[in-house]
Amino acid sequence: MSAPTLERPPTTASPATGQGSWWSRHQREAAPYAFVSPFFVLFGLFMAVPILVGLYLSCTEWAGLGTPEWVGLRNYADLLTDASFWTSVGNTALYVVFTLLVVVPAALLIAQALNARGLRGRDVFRLAFFMPVVISPIVITLVFGLFFDTEFGIVNGALKAVFGFGGIDWTGDPTWAKATVVILVLWRWTGYLTVFFLAGLQNVPRELHEAAAIDGAGPLRRFTSVTLPALKPVTAFVAVTVLVSTAQIFDEPFLLTQGGPGESTLSVAMFVYRAGFQRQQLGYAAAAGVVLFLVVVALGLLANRLLGVGRDSR
Amino acid sequence: MSHPSRRSLLLGALGAAAAGTLSACGARSTTPVTSGQVDLRIWTHDPGYVTTFTKAATDPAISGGSAFTFQPRITSAAPGDIVTRMIAQAVADGNTPDLAGVVIDQFPRVMGSAIAENLFVDLTDTVAPFGDDLLKLAPYEVGGKPYGLDSDNSITVLYYRQDVFAEHGVPEDVATWEEFAEHGERLARDRQISLGMVSVGDNGAIVNGYTQMLLQRGGEVFDESGALALDSPEAVEVLEFLAQGVRTGFLLALPDPYGSACAAALKSGRLAATAMPNWYNAYGLQANVPDQQGRWRMRTLPKFAGGGHLATTLGGTAFTVVKDKPATEAALEFLRRVYLTREGQVLRYHAGGYLPTLRPLYRDPDLLAVRDEYLGGQRVFDVYAAAADDLPLFHQAAGMQVLSAVLGGPVLDALKGRTSAHAAIQAGIAAYRQQVKR
Repeated sequence: MSAPTLERPPTTASPATGQGSWWSRHQREAAPYAFVSPFFVLFGLFMAVPILVGLYLSCTEWAGLGTPEWVGLRNYADLLTDASFWTSVGNTALYVVFTLLVVVPAALLIAQALNARGLRGRDVFRLAFFMPVVISPIVITLVFGLFFDTEFGIVNGALKAVFGFGGIDWTGDPTWAKATVVILVLWRWTGYLTVFFLAGLQNVPRELHEAAAIDGAGPLRRFTSVTLPALKPVTAFVAVTVLVSTAQIFDEPFLLTQGGPGESTLSVAMFVYRAGFQRQQLGYAAAAGVVLFLVVVALGLLANRLLGVGRDSR
Repeated sequence: MSHPSRRSLLLGALGAAAAGTLSACGARSTTPVTSGQVDLRIWTHDPGYVTTFTKAATDPAISGGSAFTFQPRITSAAPGDIVTRMIAQAVADGNTPDLAGVVIDQFPRVMGSAIAENLFVDLTDTVAPFGDDLLKLAPYEVGGKPYGLDSDNSITVLYYRQDVFAEHGVPEDVATWEEFAEHGERLARDRQISLGMVSVGDNGAIVNGYTQMLLQRGGEVFDESGALALDSPEAVEVLEFLAQGVRTGFLLALPDPYGSACAAALKSGRLAATAMPNWYNAYGLQANVPDQQGRWRMRTLPKFAGGGHLATTLGGTAFTVVKDKPATEAALEFLRRVYLTREGQVLRYHAGGYLPTLRPLYRDPDLLAVRDEYLGGQRVFDVYAAAADDLPLFHQAAGMQVLSAVLGGPVLDALKGRTSAHAAIQAGIAAYRQQVKR
């Protein structure tokens, strides 16, 4: 068997003149760029160009047909005085805070429980917690609509049977409607996040727990002193992902309440959708979209820096 | 003969693909089709229209004698998507439909920025011969010109459980809403039975339900010029009436008139009457409580003591003809044959239950003879004919979607007793003016 050669393969350039096609003379330098170019072409076409067009549109008034009319920063100025926009910002902030403070810890605790030694039916529990992510949003809408109906809902029926009251107007009262949306968020995403934590927990060496136990640490101390530090990279990743995705929350309020009653569950993403696709105010929608984009990027970078995502935890 | 190299074959294939792509991006033919077989691209959300247009294309009574042979090519899409995609395709000079079914609450999206004028054929000349006999043009007019023909007159009637009325002593011929409400209060108090419903779900459902009653009372949301006309005594009176009905239990507050909660109310017998348009018979009653066939009847609405109309209207879908396309002329003729002829209107009723929009059809012997088995064999056109004689006009404006969003909350607050009817209307008006100043 002959040894592999490391010599450069012969090129097609003419040896007599040293001349050849441009490619044959430059392929060594150009080949890497050719290999990476598909990504940049696609990124430019489907990311950079839409973002730049969105930026341009945000400075125009356009209903979708005809020529956009340049209005400078007027759309941004209008956003500042638009009560609906600020309502949507407040609602979105509420969803983000709830998700970070309730959904993420809940996912961690469930993962911890699922990771317990000797748990029977672990796969059944995993399946049950993950199920909401794969259920069709249409089915979720129908089921939650039936659950939370004021007159005929199962939740009110159960409350009435157990506690003797059950007249909560879940989707008709502004405060309860917000609560209903966050319950849906909790139900839908906790199981999904649990999978990340579970993967992280399974990588925590048992020896650390055993050593801590020998040193006299109880279950709570082992959780705070061993599990949590070991899970820091996963927690940081989950927190940043959740922050960025919840800031763009659309499905839950759209499906359950359509942003109502009134605008009490309207999110910023719904505001953008409503302006663009229900009112044909595409320039205004683009301006709101740009603001949302900037806020999400800023929050993502800030959280990245604070939590040290991607950095070595040692 | 030399064989082409693999490289030249690849280059050739790439060149051919690029040429094909570029030619596809080129300008489309705009040469009008004036006769012969013509493919009509039709976009609609409702399978009933698929049946209607498919049957009409092969029905000699409708399509016979035309210079065209119509070939409907139908695409189904959600109501909102039809408008969104049509505008997107128009911007891209792409495949717009020849005929598009635009649901009534989506039409305001094309009323601003001259979209309707640039996208659709002005139907003024097409409808001119029919004068006042053609009903329900108003919602689809922009600048006084009609751009769509509605498929259904969407007449609101009172559906009621005849057996429940007989059992509990509610007369079937109650003259006024106020009198009807008294019976409703009594039944709600004594039997937990309601005689109507209000929507308390999303803003669209809330405002639609309210608008339906407001129109009957003689009020308007927008006037003919598109100006907001909500600041009226009728607007407050109707909202007060509805709020009072919810308070006393005469009216049942439900998220929407179709969903699971409504089905539960109908099945359990808690809802024994409701004012809804003609299409509710199929999509609401028969869909939710088929087992109650024969127990339901319909009649014209009770009137408001303060005045107004005998009937009202809710919903609808207009078909529009997209202009400046090769098949525009054919699409316009097809629409005229299906929507503005007796044969077409009768076919539409039988294909999808769509009520005629031509007034004389309400006296047509064939339609007057129609009996509805679900309604105990009732002659339904006896009711529709009386209602069609006194239908209010419903005007829309480009700001309708905005109004729906900002009025829904205050109306709901009034229905739930969290604010007064007057304050709710004023709050909706103020929010509307703040948002449409843009």
